[in-house]
Formats: sequence, C-alpha cells, structure tokens
Amino acid sequence: MLSRIIRQTHMYLALFFMPWMLMYALSTMLMNHGPVFRKPPQFAVEREQTYTAAFPPDAGPRQMAQQVLSDLGMDGAHGVGKPGPGGRLTINRLDPVAPRRITYTPADGKLIVERQLFRAPALLERLHRRRGFQQPYLIDDAWGLSVDLVIAAMVLWLASGLWMWWELRITRRLGALSIATGLALFGFFLLTI
Amino acid sequence: MTFNRFNRRLHLYLGALLLLWFFVYAISSAPFAHPRWFEPSSDSEPLWVTRFDRPYELAVPGGADLKAIGAQIVRDAGLNGSFGVYQPNQKQINLYFPNFLKPVRVTYFIDQKRLHTEDRRFRWPQFLQSVHARGGYERDSLLDDAWAVLVDLNCIGLLVWIASGLYMWWKTPGVRGWGWLALAAGWGLFALFLFAG
Repeated sequence: MLSRIIRQTHMYLALFFMPWMLMYALSTMLMNHGPVFRKPPQFAVEREQTYTAAFPPDAGPRQMAQQVLSDLGMDGAHGVGKPGPGGRLTINRLDPVAPRRITYTPADGKLIVERQLFRAPALLERLHRRRGFQQPYLIDDAWGLSVDLVIAAMVLWLASGLWMWWELRITRRLGALSIATGLALFGFFLLTI
Repeated sequence: MTFNRFNRRLHLYLGALLLLWFFVYAISSAPFAHPRWFEPSSDSEPLWVTRFDRPYELAVPGGADLKAIGAQIVRDAGLNGSFGVYQPNQKQINLYFPNFLKPVRVTYFIDQKRLHTEDRRFRWPQFLQSVHARGGYERDSLLDDAWAVLVDLNCIGLLVWIASGLYMWWKTPGVRGWGWLALAAGWGLFALFLFAG
C-alpha cells in the first residue's frame, strides 16, 4: 500500500509540475548557451500621450511609479530606478509575456509606453528568474509559492525515486553504480573548478 | 528487452546518475527564492576577506581589450585560474575567479592606482547559489566547458524524464483519468501565471 502511494505521488506530482520542469529545462539550456540566444531587448512604442502627475513632495521613485501605473491602469509588478535628468522616470513593468517600459518626462508632460518585442528565449529566461514575495501583488506571491512547491516536489521525487529503486532488487547494482558515478563526477568538479 | 522496460530503466538510471545535481539544483533554488531568509546576520563576519591591497599601476586606454587587461592584472598579482573581467565604470576593473569553494575577486581602482584582492569565506547559501548559477562556454577553460556540458546533460536528462515519465503514465492501467486531471490542472495554473502576471 505504502509503495503504491509513493509511486502515485511521484507520478501525479510530476504530471502536475510538468510545465515548470519543462520551462526550467529549456531555459537552463538557453542560459547555458547565453551568447547564442541572449539578445538585447527591443521595444516598440505602444502609445504616447500627455500626462501630468502631481506627486506628493516627499514621494520616492517607487511611489511615483506606483501612481503612474495606477493612472494608466497598468498596476502590477515593476521596477524603477532613480529619476534621470529633468526628473525623467523610467518604469519597467514586469510581465512574463509582454514586459513594458514606461518613460515619463515631467518637464514636457510626455509619457511613452513601449512593449518589449516577443522572443521565446527571453520569455523562458524571465520565467526562470521570476521571483515571488518581493512585490506587493498576489499573483507574484502565488508564483513564488509555486516555485517553493516545485522545490519540495523535486526533493520528494528524489526520495520516492530512491525508494522505488531500492524496491526493484534487480536494479540495485547498476543503480548504485550510476549514483556513485554521479557523486564522483560532482565531487571532481567541486574540487577542481 | 521491450521498449516499455527500456524506458523504465532509462528513467531510473538517469535519475540515479543525475541525483546529486537534481538535489543541489532543488535546494539551491531556496536562496534565490527567499534571499532574505539567507541574509547573514548583522554581527556575522564579513563575507569577503582581504588577501592583499597594494599600489598598482596599469594603463587602461579607452576601448582596450578587457580580457588582455585582465590577464595582465592576473599575472602581476600572481594569481592563476580561469577568470571573468568587466568594467563597471571608468574608475575600476573587476575580476572574479569563480570557484565553488573558494572564489576570489580582484578590484583594480584605476584612479587610485590600487589593486585589492579578496577571498570569499565559505557559506552555504553562496556556495549553493554558485553551483546553481554556474554554466556557459565563455571561459577559456576545458573544465568549465566540461561543467557546461554537464549542465546541458542535466537539461536533456530532465526532458528525457518528462518524456519517459509521460510514456509510463500512458502505459499504466487505471491512472489515465487522474493523470489527465493533474496535467490539465498544472498547465492551467501555469497559463494563469503566464498571462495574469
């Protein structure tokens, strides 16, 4: 009975988390060949408009960015740096599929929204690097939780995999050899690079 | 040997071979996902320890080949090993010697004519992160290239696990219905994260 529970947990967890593992496998491979696939992001202007914001006098870039995004109806995870010359504010609206760059220049009341052109390698790398628990948005925390669950699932796959291997007497010797080879290879690189 | 049996054995032995990588990639994801949990306490010793700090002068003309400049600094500092080099601003050149256990970093302060070399203390979160993030074929080192090949093999291994796991699920009687449900729920949730972000 226990064996059956372990096998089925191993399998159903794997089926559920398949998209995550597929994404991590493909994105890691692309990142491992960075110079081939990594290109500077290209943007296309989505809209250009006049915009005037009245920020509180003590507002920092984060608060200003929040207000701009809220006014544009684009609230969500974002990053923002220190204002540039003339108070120019550049906001990176983080989004796995369609990240946008919003540039607001208070001096001439101009606001430009640019959309990053889609590239599959960039999408995979964004997903790989996406973090939760760092933005005040539920969807990002939920993603962070899913990553935590993937970590837990990976440890569970290992433990349950070892259990299933040990149960199959006929595979013990070759399995042990495979584990020892992996350990030796890992140890070699740990000490040499 | 039937294909079904071959598929099962492949799934198992591949898992056994890549077990340690898989484990390290799993647990090393935690410091990336929760950096605050792994921040050193304020009273802990500094992460980097100065090995030496001495006067040094090397002309760095504009548009110079950074790799060659870095190699010269490495020779002059009496260091060895594969390294990376970058220039974050006009005032300094940074070199780093990636190493899982004892990485070294060198900073050449151009304006101060000073060379600063530091060793990193061993700490588990940094060690795990360095294993997790290491890869690529850009360094002029056979061992680094061999590690990058292993990273690729791990990725291929994951894809093989997915494919062979799907085959086993399909060939196992009585689990298709719940399997479809797990697959659909996983893809549905993933799509939600993709498009509601």
